[in-house]
Amino acid sequence: MTTSEFLHTAWSWNPLLLAACAAALAGYWFAFRRTGRIGYFVAALGVVLLALVSPIHALADGYLFSAHMVQHILLLLVAPALALLSLPATFSPGKMPRVFVHPLAGWLAGVGAMWVWHAPALCNAAAVSGPVAALQSVSLLVLGAVFWWQVLAPRDDQRLAPFTAILYLFTACVACSALGIILTFSPVRVCSVFMHPVDRLGIMGTIRGGWGMTPERDQQIGGLLMWVPMCSIYAAAILSQFARWHATPALPEKTP
Amino acid sequence: MNDTTATASPPLLLTEHARAHHRVAWIATVDHKRIGILYMLTALFFFVVGGVEALFIRLQLAVPNNTLLAPDTYNQLFTMHGTTMIFLVAMPMLFGLANYFVPLQIGARDMAFPRLNAFAFWLVPLGGILLHFSVLAGGAPAVGWFAYAPLSETPYASQPGVNYWALALLVLGIGSVSASINLIVTVLTARAPHMTLRRLPLFSWMFFVNSFLVILALPVLNAGLAMLLIDRLLDTHFFLPAGGGSAILWQHIFWAFGHPEVYIVAIPAFAILSEIIPVFSRKPIFGYEFVAGSTVAIALLSLLVWAHHMFTVGLGHTVDLFFVASSLLIAIPTGVKVLAWSATMLGGRLRLETPMLFCVAALVQFLVAGLTGVTHAVAALDWQTKNSYYLVAHFHFVFVGLIVFAILGALHYWFPKMSGRMLSERIGKWTFWLMVIGFNMTFVIQHFLGFAGMPRRVYTYPDLPGWGWMNMVSTVGAFFMAAAALLLVWNLAHAFRRGPVAGDNPWKAWTLEWATTSPPPHENFDALPPIRSRRPLWDEANPDRPEPVVGGDDATSPVAEKSKAGVIAFIASEAGFFGVLILAFLFFNATPQAGPGPKQLDLFKTGMFSLCLFASSFTLWRSEVSLRNAKHRAMKGWLAATIVLGGIFVVGQGLEYWGLFASGVTVSTNLFATTFFTLTGFHGLHVCVGLIALLIVLGLALAGDFEKRKSSALGAVGLYWHFVDVVWVFVLTAVYIFPLLK
Repeated sequence: MTTSEFLHTAWSWNPLLLAACAAALAGYWFAFRRTGRIGYFVAALGVVLLALVSPIHALADGYLFSAHMVQHILLLLVAPALALLSLPATFSPGKMPRVFVHPLAGWLAGVGAMWVWHAPALCNAAAVSGPVAALQSVSLLVLGAVFWWQVLAPRDDQRLAPFTAILYLFTACVACSALGIILTFSPVRVCSVFMHPVDRLGIMGTIRGGWGMTPERDQQIGGLLMWVPMCSIYAAAILSQFARWHATPALPEKTP
Repeated sequence: MNDTTATASPPLLLTEHARAHHRVAWIATVDHKRIGILYMLTALFFFVVGGVEALFIRLQLAVPNNTLLAPDTYNQLFTMHGTTMIFLVAMPMLFGLANYFVPLQIGARDMAFPRLNAFAFWLVPLGGILLHFSVLAGGAPAVGWFAYAPLSETPYASQPGVNYWALALLVLGIGSVSASINLIVTVLTARAPHMTLRRLPLFSWMFFVNSFLVILALPVLNAGLAMLLIDRLLDTHFFLPAGGGSAILWQHIFWAFGHPEVYIVAIPAFAILSEIIPVFSRKPIFGYEFVAGSTVAIALLSLLVWAHHMFTVGLGHTVDLFFVASSLLIAIPTGVKVLAWSATMLGGRLRLETPMLFCVAALVQFLVAGLTGVTHAVAALDWQTKNSYYLVAHFHFVFVGLIVFAILGALHYWFPKMSGRMLSERIGKWTFWLMVIGFNMTFVIQHFLGFAGMPRRVYTYPDLPGWGWMNMVSTVGAFFMAAAALLLVWNLAHAFRRGPVAGDNPWKAWTLEWATTSPPPHENFDALPPIRSRRPLWDEANPDRPEPVVGGDDATSPVAEKSKAGVIAFIASEAGFFGVLILAFLFFNATPQAGPGPKQLDLFKTGMFSLCLFASSFTLWRSEVSLRNAKHRAMKGWLAATIVLGGIFVVGQGLEYWGLFASGVTVSTNLFATTFFTLTGFHGLHVCVGLIALLIVLGLALAGDFEKRKSSALGAVGLYWHFVDVVWVFVLTAVYIFPLLK
């Protein structure tokens, strides 16, 4: 299969996923039609579909570790952030257990989702088993939302103060970079499944020959994606917190 | 004897004791202004040393096939020039400026920790002496300021020069981290009322941001230096491929520090430009928030791009591509800064006095440096030019064109405040023009030398077409710069004795350091003007059209406690140090080594001792709770229990080491043993330091110190102790548990 054939055919139109997305959009329309920012929500769904329907999914499904990493980043860091941004300021999650809105829980959710799902056994299982992969996707979306809640919650008083948020994001960035650096330079393959994929689509020749994706390079790209672009997302968020701090309206000066 | 002199001399204002005090006042001082001046004088001294080294280098390169210097002598001068200029000139000079002016700008009485401040300064001369002592101990290091392994390892550099180099850099690194922790805590806790973080002058803001970069980047180098020293002194193979080590790892560690280091010295230069350009344009800075924010962006990005120093190492296209992209990103925030400074000048009433001239020149030279920097970010182009004089020209445009010029601007700008006297404007202009002409003669032409193919790091070169005259021009230019340096020293010395009196605010500037006398009194301020905006002195001079009030900030938020903030900053830097050691352990043990391995370790025994260490965190927490509830007996009891538990852990570690030694496993056996002993050894060292600190606190408690006054000692030491325990969680996982999973 050539590259263009692959890009045309490798779309996984999972009916369950499409139904879920449609239901989410309908739900959003009924609940926040007037108050919300539907553009962000549509973008969030678009990112989810990009990760789980487009050829990225076909590649992540046992072929390429780097494609899996793209999926991981989109589902953990991009889609939940966009979804939170789409919520109106009046939104209240109702009675949430306190543990979900504790900053430490948020931090552990974001960083843990990175480290735990890349333990060799779990990484391999998610790459070969459909149910584990589905569990992974859902867990990434949920954990991502718990992570971003601290920074992008609808109301200002639900978010961390700007400097605390910067510390929160910076340490998360360091923790993920460390894993990215380990993946990039590790002499052993972390997800051994990607070494010898089962070639269901008949594209291994194109991937190895045409694209020059050796297993070593594949893992290196995966590690680099986690190290550089992911950290850039955190860095951008840090700058947005800095802007938020400077945008805080002036308080009336207390005369001494 | 004493009696006779005392009776013979006329009665004095000062007592004998006070006079003795004044004789040692500069040595024993903890005043931030005096320490700042000591930093600057030290930097000036080493500037002359490093400059003379540079002149010898240029003399050797003036003509082809020159024999003025022997190859090894050239390499030594070359290494010492680079190391001196970075660590003994740029860093101390910038810390000196920060020391003097950050407390003044924020309306503080002194730095947060005056004694730590003196300690940090005195490490600079100590580092300088250690580095130069190598000359007496068999020759200065000759391995370049980057000390690439394996060239810097014993088989290729058997003289002790490299040991002294590494020790000196360790000492200087510890000093820099101490100074930066002090700056961070000063800005966080010592600001005058109403001087909110959003009202900080850009100079102070940028030094604040920069200090975070120092405490994150320097420990990485310190970890690398520790490994290099262990390699050289204990015969191990971290960076020696012959023994299974990785020479590339040294480059990663060095540049993970080295790239942020470029910004560690460049951000203060940006800080100086952001302060002087508005004053001499008679306008507020254009886009304060963007200048402040782009500094944060630069600091963040600088931690992400070090591999662009290694494009020619052979990391592969994949790695190169990512770092091309991230390196190019840096052009955005630096571009924002250049635009903001230019827009500040646009439409301003420019006063082209010496400080401003230097800053305008720095801006122009930095633009060139930035553009050549962008060409280096493109890997394909970098391969062609990296090892040529084009790169030498590029980084000298950064280090001299931007940083030295900015520092000269700062000296001319703030000398009146420090001395109370004005520098000669006429000599200043001569200094400036000699410097600009000399600098551009020296370094513009080196771009073309690079294009003509002249490699860098060579002690001489063949007589190829064009190379001879271009090098001669470069050498002549260097002597112009030397003449400018002499003029500067003369100007400083002359003005210090005879210069016209400056007054409080000779430049009509707007920040708080100009609100006090020149030089400022020991306590800095008698009274502060009201602070509502970023330019309080403008508001005072123009009450009818004041600056817009800047508010909505942490004005009401609780100010962090000094000692805790200091320990937290220290912990951040320690985390970087241990992070590198843990990553090195994982890297070398990803595949099993020949010889002893993790199987030799007894997880059960170590687990028991680890439980003691973790329990000690609990007992210490109980001790803190008891103190809060004023139960002093319980507090002492829990504290003693903590020390006993920590002691048991240290003994356990000692027993484990003893067992390994007994079975013939030493630090140089194989890379597993090397990384194991290095990582656990440094952790054990930290536990011991923690125990000493806890013993001191216990001593204070037994002396009744905590009953008499509110003390934060236990809380601060407690934070450190908990941190050491958390590090052990990671070490235990990486060293003992992780290998079992495979």
